[in-house]
Formats: sequence, structure tokens, C-alpha cells
Amino acid sequence: MTTLEAPAKPISLTKFTAGDFKSDLKPIWCPGCGDFGVVTAITRALANLARPPHEIAFVSGIGCSSRIPGYTTAYGFNTVHGRSLPIAQGIKLANPELLVLVASGDGDGFSIGGGHVAHAVRRNIDITYIVMDNQIYGLTKGQLSPTSSRGRKTVTSSFGSLEDPVNPLLYVMGYGASFVAQGTPADMNGLAKIIEEGIRFPGFAFINVQSPCVTYGMEEQQLKAHKTNMQSLEAMGHDTSDRAKATELAREYGTKLYTGVLYRNPNPPSTYGQGVIERHEALKKSAVPRHEILNRFKPTS
Amino acid sequence: MSEDLIIGIAGSGGDGVISAGESLITAAALEGYHCVMTKSFGSQIRGGEASCRLRLATRPVLNPNGPLDVAVALNWEDFRRFGSELPVEAATIVIYESNTGVAPDQLPLPGVKPAVVFSVPITAMAAEHAGTNKAKNIVIAGLLAGWFGIGRESMLAGIRKKFAKKGATVVEGNVRAFQAGLDFTAANPLKEDRKLAAPQSGGQAKLLTDGNDMCAAAAIFAGCTFFGGYPITPSTEIMQFLDREIWKYGGTVLQAEDEIAGIGAVVGASFAGKKAMTATSGPGMSLKTEILGLASLAELPLVCVNVQRGGPSTGMPTKAEQSDLFQAAFSAHGDCLRPVLAPTSVADIFGVTVEAFNLAEYYQTPVIVLSDQEIAQRKETVDPIDTSKFQIIERRHPSGPELANYSRFKLTESGISPISHPGMVGGNYLCAGIEHNEQGRPTASGEMHARMNEKRFNKFNPLKNRRDLFTIEGDPEAPIGMVSWGSVAGVAREALRLAQAEGLQVKLLVPRLLYPVAETVYQDFFASVQRGLFIEQSYQAQLYRIVRMNVDLPAQVKAFAKSGSNPILPSEVLKRLREMVVSIQGNQQQQPEAVEN
Repeated sequence: MTTLEAPAKPISLTKFTAGDFKSDLKPIWCPGCGDFGVVTAITRALANLARPPHEIAFVSGIGCSSRIPGYTTAYGFNTVHGRSLPIAQGIKLANPELLVLVASGDGDGFSIGGGHVAHAVRRNIDITYIVMDNQIYGLTKGQLSPTSSRGRKTVTSSFGSLEDPVNPLLYVMGYGASFVAQGTPADMNGLAKIIEEGIRFPGFAFINVQSPCVTYGMEEQQLKAHKTNMQSLEAMGHDTSDRAKATELAREYGTKLYTGVLYRNPNPPSTYGQGVIERHEALKKSAVPRHEILNRFKPTS
Repeated sequence: MSEDLIIGIAGSGGDGVISAGESLITAAALEGYHCVMTKSFGSQIRGGEASCRLRLATRPVLNPNGPLDVAVALNWEDFRRFGSELPVEAATIVIYESNTGVAPDQLPLPGVKPAVVFSVPITAMAAEHAGTNKAKNIVIAGLLAGWFGIGRESMLAGIRKKFAKKGATVVEGNVRAFQAGLDFTAANPLKEDRKLAAPQSGGQAKLLTDGNDMCAAAAIFAGCTFFGGYPITPSTEIMQFLDREIWKYGGTVLQAEDEIAGIGAVVGASFAGKKAMTATSGPGMSLKTEILGLASLAELPLVCVNVQRGGPSTGMPTKAEQSDLFQAAFSAHGDCLRPVLAPTSVADIFGVTVEAFNLAEYYQTPVIVLSDQEIAQRKETVDPIDTSKFQIIERRHPSGPELANYSRFKLTESGISPISHPGMVGGNYLCAGIEHNEQGRPTASGEMHARMNEKRFNKFNPLKNRRDLFTIEGDPEAPIGMVSWGSVAGVAREALRLAQAEGLQVKLLVPRLLYPVAETVYQDFFASVQRGLFIEQSYQAQLYRIVRMNVDLPAQVKAFAKSGSNPILPSEVLKRLREMVVSIQGNQQQQPEAVEN
């Protein structure tokens, strides 16, 4: 376990099941919430990756979706609203050998925390960012979210939203991400697969999950509708290395529900962590013992 | 002979004012003098006015303030912009650029007639000997070296080294410019010999640095391996120093996209088990507040340095103030306690920063270090520090048996629960900003919340008995007691010295631990006190008010407070001490305003 880009490398021969990653904490979610499917997909992916729970740091912000870390056996960190990405990056930089997952929602990730996404992408720190996008604020009971469609009526948009929604897929493509995918719990196998691929991808990986809110969501956003609407990118024969095509498909967010890997950079760029390792290697010989650091302040004429 | 010289130099940004000051202080430090140099600028990025105050002394200097013994003006307009930062008195020796066209008896200094005034063609001398106006700073260095006997040889060596890359012609030109300064002083000697006497501690070279670099070096010494932050005046040099050094120790500096992300990454690194730090100034502290609360509730160690500047809002970014103590102590929602420490000098910030890491790791808490612009950016000589005297404390990890049935937030007698980190087998837990039970599971139980609050407060009880984080100087039974903190403590110390020389019975309490308030330390200090004075650089006298909140102080304990960048002078403090003596003698019952601004 010395390389940064191989988080999937098992440290033991132990076989894991999804159950090994599920905690006994009872979720606060409404019955039928899409997030149940997401936690199941994540634990399945983790079982396939065969990294023991204590080597996983699972970070989140605030919202229904951000409760997820507590429902796993990983080291969870349920932080503050919108700040999961900076905190997760600090964890990964402090200990590059950890597998670092981030869970967020459309409000946490693209409203209050939206400013951090571009920087996480450009730094290309090897973490996996899973956003449960339900186009509504569920935890606070039904307010407009940044991905709510124009005209949507909610308790804070009584006469209909006057704003265009954020397009998470297009934003992240635009920021230059190397791995962008979308899934839905309506296709559990597909969702578990893209999460696993995202984690295995060496660098920042973004997975948008259409995870419906059963309480405040609209009918056409529910899993039942997903089952008929979703279009598998793989079945469409989409070339995941085609950045221009991926960007074009990303534009259809909100009208089409594509599932699978939208874009995967065929030549993944060097990660921030690799740069750190190289720098440490190059500079370690020039370190003076810590207790001699004050010699830096000896004046010279 | 002089034992103590205060020199002020002012001019436009391009005049080399700062570089002249730096040559002088470096030379003086090499010769073993005690020195302090502060710089002051207009808010322009380039150009504009620049000044430095340089204090050189044969014994330890406690602050850079006081009227100038020597004033150097490259032009009068810029000089006068610094107002009370560069006070000229009748006794001040004034040296100024001849081409300002001002007659020596017509200096534009209202109400002051300095007795000794030299009009010197500084620019012309630079142009003549070095072939460039840029050598003005070298001429100034030569003048000051000549009249005041500072480091002639070291300065010549410095000039040779500094210009070596530019070739022999440039080196010799600058050496000639320096010599021209010396020659001018030989031709125009002072009537009274003002050359600095030999340093009392002998000629041993001292360390020379500023508070920001010293703070960063202390972080490295303490074992910090992660820094996350965002550039902000006047703290940025901490990040810059660490960026040059920390990588060598396997550490990382992350220049984050904003102040929140900076401390966010620090909390993440601490969760991952590393000693981590951020540094900022007022506006950045405001932004970091929410995550500081997270670190308090999640009991994660971190050090947050706030290099205070004038506020509120953007305020006065390049000026020192002690007005962020309320924020440091109280800016959190919910019931929350975090230690606040303050250094009093460049030398002091070493120990204070190491202590901050120790407290953070031991108590599993954010710790705030309240530095200020003056300490941060002033250059000061520091006697060699014996680092072997400093203990380094690491966070308490769970033992094998504790991991077998691990409770991250176990309610222990001390309130301190062993802390695991990712990668540790069996230590898995949910760390969260939401209230939790002993296992870290979210809870909405009022009873559990009360118990956890009690744990998070009680764990700090031993801190209030840390008398080593306070110094008391002067007569322990004195009826007059001063309290001062941060860079202003140096002013109070000097006032104490002056008062003692007059035979006044005075003592001084200097806290490094500002919060929580160590009640018994203040109670004991004020037990003998009939008249007390808190001396602070802020409008409100924030320590005075916080101590009053916690300790039943005698009514005659008042505060002397000034808003930032208006120097508090030892002579002003002395005046108040004398008044207190008179007041005690007359046993006057008059009640002046509690805070005098």
C-alpha cells in the first residue's frame, strides 16, 4: 500500500460482504427514500474493493444524504453544511493511503458548498464525490434546491421558481473532471458498478445519483419513473473517452436520465497526491532536525 | 555614549527605507545588540509611503515605541503621514534629504524645534558615488553607522555580499556610497558622542526574525505536518514559511480556495491523525467560525493563529490591534470553550505556539493563538532558544483493550477520551458535528447533550491552574497592579522598569493564557492591589471586560485602552501610575470612567 492510485488493492486476503460495511444505526430517512439504495450500492462496491472499513474515511456535509457515513462501518465524518470536500481533501492529503469517499446532496454540494467543487476537480485529489441529487431540500421539508427546475413550486417558491437550475454534470465536465458518471437506485447493479469504478479511478471522481425524495419529490422523479426513463449509456454504445460527446450528453441533464459513465479520461492526469509524494522524496534530504529549525534565523551579513 | 537608540526612517516606497533598516538591524544583531524593527506602510502595493522604526539597545528592548532619538526623512510629506508613529521631539536628531529644499530651522514639524538637524544631500551622494539614486539606503546606512557606531564592518560585508552577483563595479560603487555616508559624519560630528556602547551580554550574535516566521518555525518544531489556509494580511508569511519548509518533513501546505476550505482541510487532517494548523486575520477568523465549532464538538485538535489587525470588517489590515479577543473567546454558537493564547514578543511566540499545539493535542480542541500585526511583522533579535526545554505532547490514542470495545467520546474522569484515527483497526467511529453519545452515535437526548457539554467544559479545568502561562514582575505585594498582554505587554514592562526606577511600588501581570480566565491567578494578583490598570490596544479593553465577567475585581481596577496603531507609550503609562500613587496617598474616592480611551 504505497501507491496513491490503487485504493482497491487489498491489504489482506479477507473477503468482505456488503454487510461488513453496514452499521447497525437505523437511518432517519423516510420509507422508500432513494438514499437507502445508495447506501446499499456503496456497501456493495466497497465489498468488491475489499478494503477493510478502518481504511476508509467517509465524509459528508449536512442534509438527508449526508447521514450516510453513519450507516456504514467506515470512519465516518458527518461535518458541516457544504464543507465536505475541503475536509475530505485534508484527510486524503494527511494520509494518502486512506480510501476517501464524500457524500453530498444537491443543496450541500451545489448550493452552499458549490464553490468548493471546481477546486476539488482542478486539484485532482484522489477522492470519490457522490452527490445524491433529489432536486429538493428534504431535511428542512421541501424548499427549492439549486437543481430544482425553473417554475417548480415549493414552500419557498410559492409562485414557481424564477431561476434556472444548476447542471451538476455539465459544471463538473466544464471544470475538467476526469471521471463523471450518473446513476439511480432504480438500477442497483449499475449504481454499485459506477461507484466501484469511480473509487478505482485514480483521481477525483464525480458520481451524480438521481436519488428521489419520496416525500417532497415529484412523481416523474420517483424510482418508478426512473425505471422507464433511464437510458444506459453503455447500451447506447457511448464512448466514455469522448469528452465532446460526454459534454453534449451532460447538457441534457433535467430532460434525459442517462446512467453509467459519461466521461472517463483515457489518460488520467497525475494526481495531487502523486505530486506530494514526489516532492517529499525530492526534499526530505534537505530537512534539518526539527529542533534545529531556529538556525534558519541566524543573521548573516 | 548611547545605551538605547530609537531611529525612525521614512520616505517613498522606492527610497530603500526598509532596506536601510534591515541592513542596520542585521549588523547590530550580528554584534550582539538587542534590536526591534517595525515597518509601516501606506496601503499601496507598490510605492506610497514607507517607514521603519528601529530600536537598538545594549540590553533587552521591550517594545519599539517612544519618541525618536534619530529621525531620517527622505521627504517631509511622507514622513509626516506617519504622524504619531514617528514622534519627533526637541531632543531628536533630525537627518533629512537636502533636496527637499527645507531650511534646517524651518522643518515642517509644528510645535517642535529639534536642536540637532543635518541637511544631507543623500540622493546626490548616492548618484555621485554609486552612480544610481537607488543607493540612497546605502548612504543612510553609512550616515547612521558613522554617527551611532553601528556595525561598520558587518555592513560593508553585507554590501559586498548583497551586490556580489551584480559585479565588481556595482559592489565598489555601493561601498563608496557607504564610505561617503561615513565621511559626511566625520566632517560633521555630533557635539555629544551618541555611539552605542558595547552590548551588555557580550558580542554573541543573536537570532533575528519576525513573529510570523517564528510562529511557523515553532509549528515545525512542535511536529505540525499540515497547514491549510488562505492569504490574508498580516498573517500570510506563516503560510509562506511553512510552504518553504514543511514539505521537507513529509508535511503539506494547502493554499485553499477560501478561509473556510483552509480550516476545513485542517480539521480533515486532524481527523486523519496529523498535527494541523491554519493562520489568518480578522475577516478570515469570522469565516472560520463555524468549523471551529465543529472542531470543538468533534473534539479535534487544531491550532488557529489569528494575527490581529484593526477591525471590524476590512478595518486596518496593516496596523496592529488587540480587538479580536472577544471573537476568539466567544465566536461560536452553542456552549463552547476553547483556549486562547497570546504571545508578547517574537521570542515569546515560539513557546506560545508550541504550547498551543500541546494544549490542542492534549485537550483535543481547537486552540487560538492571538498574535498581532506588530509581533508578526516586526523584526526582533532573539537570544538563542534551548529547544530541549520544550516538551512536545501527543494526543492520547486508545490502547489495545480500549479499542476492543471502543467509545470515542467515553465519559472519563478527566473529560479526555482516547482518540483514534482512520487506519487504526477497531477505532472506527462516526465523527460528527451533530451531538453524539459516548460511541459517537447521533443523539437528540437532552440528558446526553448536558453530559457531553459538561465533559467538554470540565476537561479544561486543569488549564486554569497553569500559572506557568502567566508572568508576574515587580513587587509581589505592590498596591498598584498592571495587566497587559500581547505586544503591548512590552510597553507595560518598560513602564514598570521606569516606575521602579522612580521607587514606585508596582507590579505587572502578563497572561499568555487569555481564555478560559484563570480566576485564581487574577484574584491572587489583585489581593494586594488598591489601584489596578489593564493596558490594551483596543477601544473596548477586551481582556479587562472578560476578566471582569469572571473575577470580582476591586472597583479601582480600570483600563487604559487605545484603538489600534495609536502607540501606547511607556511614559503615558508611567504618568497614570504616578497618578495612582497620589490617589492612594490621598485615598481619593473619585471614580473615573472604567475604560479610558
